[in-house]
Amino acid sequence: MTVGLKIVLAAAQILTVLSAVAVTFHPNILYASIALFFAFCGVAVMFVYAGADFLAGAQLIVYAGGVTILVLFAIMLTQWLYKSKLRDIRMRVVAPLALIAPALTYGLCVALRGLGDHVLKTTPANFEAFSSAPKTMPIGQALLTNYLLPFEAITILLLSALVGGVWLARPK
Amino acid sequence: MSGLASGLDWLTGLHGYLAVAASLFVLGAVAVISRKNAIGVLLGVELMLNAAGLNFVIFSKYRTAAIDGQIVALFIIFIAAAEAAVALAIILRFYRLKHSMDASEANLLRD
Amino acid sequence: MQPSAAFAHALNDSIGVLPLWSWAAVTAALVLFLLALPFAGFATFIERRVAAFFQDRLGPNRVGPEGILQFPADAVKMLAKEDFIPAGADRFLFNLAPLLVVVGALSAFAVLPLGRALIGADLNIGVVYVLAVTTLIPPGILLGSWASQNKWSLLGGLRAAAQIVSYEIAVALALVPPILVSGSLQVSTIVDAQGWAWGAENAANYHFWNLFYNPFTFVSAFVFFIAGLAETNRIPFDLPEAESELVSGFNTEFSGMRFGLYALGEFGDVFVMCAMFTALYLGGWQVPFVNLETFWIALPALVIALIHLTMFMAKTLSLVFIVMWLRWTLPRLRVDQLMGLCWKGLVPIALFNVVGTAIWMWVFHGQSLPQLLAKAFSG
Repeated sequence: MTVGLKIVLAAAQILTVLSAVAVTFHPNILYASIALFFAFCGVAVMFVYAGADFLAGAQLIVYAGGVTILVLFAIMLTQWLYKSKLRDIRMRVVAPLALIAPALTYGLCVALRGLGDHVLKTTPANFEAFSSAPKTMPIGQALLTNYLLPFEAITILLLSALVGGVWLARPK
Repeated sequence: MSGLASGLDWLTGLHGYLAVAASLFVLGAVAVISRKNAIGVLLGVELMLNAAGLNFVIFSKYRTAAIDGQIVALFIIFIAAAEAAVALAIILRFYRLKHSMDASEANLLRD
Repeated sequence: MQPSAAFAHALNDSIGVLPLWSWAAVTAALVLFLLALPFAGFATFIERRVAAFFQDRLGPNRVGPEGILQFPADAVKMLAKEDFIPAGADRFLFNLAPLLVVVGALSAFAVLPLGRALIGADLNIGVVYVLAVTTLIPPGILLGSWASQNKWSLLGGLRAAAQIVSYEIAVALALVPPILVSGSLQVSTIVDAQGWAWGAENAANYHFWNLFYNPFTFVSAFVFFIAGLAETNRIPFDLPEAESELVSGFNTEFSGMRFGLYALGEFGDVFVMCAMFTALYLGGWQVPFVNLETFWIALPALVIALIHLTMFMAKTLSLVFIVMWLRWTLPRLRVDQLMGLCWKGLVPIALFNVVGTAIWMWVFHGQSLPQLLAKAFSG
């Protein structure tokens, strides 16, 4: 990768983490959901760099286009609009958690560093070629061969979620 | 200058991805615990699912250089979509019942 | 190599300071200003003239010959207007929202196939890319409507978001048959597959326009066009900005250049929709019945590129004209009719088309209706 591409990726990573911080700690739930939108976009950029082009598209369509809109809808249908009622976060819980979270993240990073070093030792030689190859056809073939059963299970899950969502949200 | 360059290399390599995924997961967990609003809890869950998907994708690149990790991440995206739809339907239902979004008021089934 | 990339390489070789991607960004910006902005401006002018034509008026005809300089004048007027944010509005979101809409609509221009050599970025997930970047539009509209603290705005924004998200499903399903037919998400491959020509020896490899591939794709094209109209908030689906009910809908409080950005995003979206229709169903840059590469005289690359561009723009702009025509012809739907049309009409039809196209390809071994007819007539 060239330096320029690396800078773009690093910017996306930093944006993702900052947005996630806003998701967790912003007192206004509307701003938190917008931050989540940007976190989704940042993760999509990271997917592209990790060689998952189709997945990045799916991430944007499903998360950024679907889930964010659903969340915004739910906020606007249920909150007192234009009032500061949108602010709600448990400060009593947040304060200690904000102290623990960095320590927890650091510990997780240390643990993952060992795992990462182990993985890097056994990384296959073709991983750069893999990450730049198109993924649509391999994903399609895998979904209809090796992963056919989970794929069918997912279709049933989605159908039941659709029906269940409609049934739950039906008017009285 | 070389320190900056090596930092960039670290961030854009496997370890950087893992660090980002770890922080996303922890932040999501904190949001689940600390948010009063039921939608806020949902936002935290979505962050955690994203972190898990990110880990699957990055390990599929560095560990096996095969498509399987991406398939699992795709399933995670599908499941998250279904989960968000059902969760928001439940939240709307709850709001109609209690006229509140506070998840701690959902205590009808306690004891 | 793409010309934009070649341009970037040439600049980079001669200057050699900045990394390559920054030149890609510069070319993208150039494309934006050379293509998207003039199109959007020109479209507003044409729309006014077309509207006048349909209503037996003259329309703007004072600035320049036939009023053609009306849109630069409008742009200057918008830029010079007061930068106004209503009291009590959420300033951050009010500034952010129009940008989301514009970025969403104009990012899609990167994969539009203006000609074989004129694609900004021929991504192998091109169709998914268009769907993905246009998902930035509904959050932009919804947030802008919320931020302006106005009941009409909010109602319009909620309508817009519900409408776009619903019709996006119909659009995505109507995109599937052409993708099935050509077996690729890459826009250039989909266009290439539609290059059937008289007397070409490799005619078996190509079929004619996807619109006429089989009855299912024919219906699917109409589903795509109707759903695309709804997704771009055009009449008869312009409920988000229904003037007679909601003043001006989600952009009521927006003025000056922010309103201009919303308008730019809207017209950019219309162009993207028509261009995708052209690429997926009308053969994109292909000249009907003629294959320019195997033409009886060898054409220079520049001429081929110009013919491609002309064909593509002619097809796309005819569709844009049809969109405007519909605007001044059809009345607006009600909200329940809108949702009913999507969920009870377009989505089931689109699903049926997907299954039908798949079965057709299995039964006829991937041959199109024109190919079968040609074979039957030639014996």
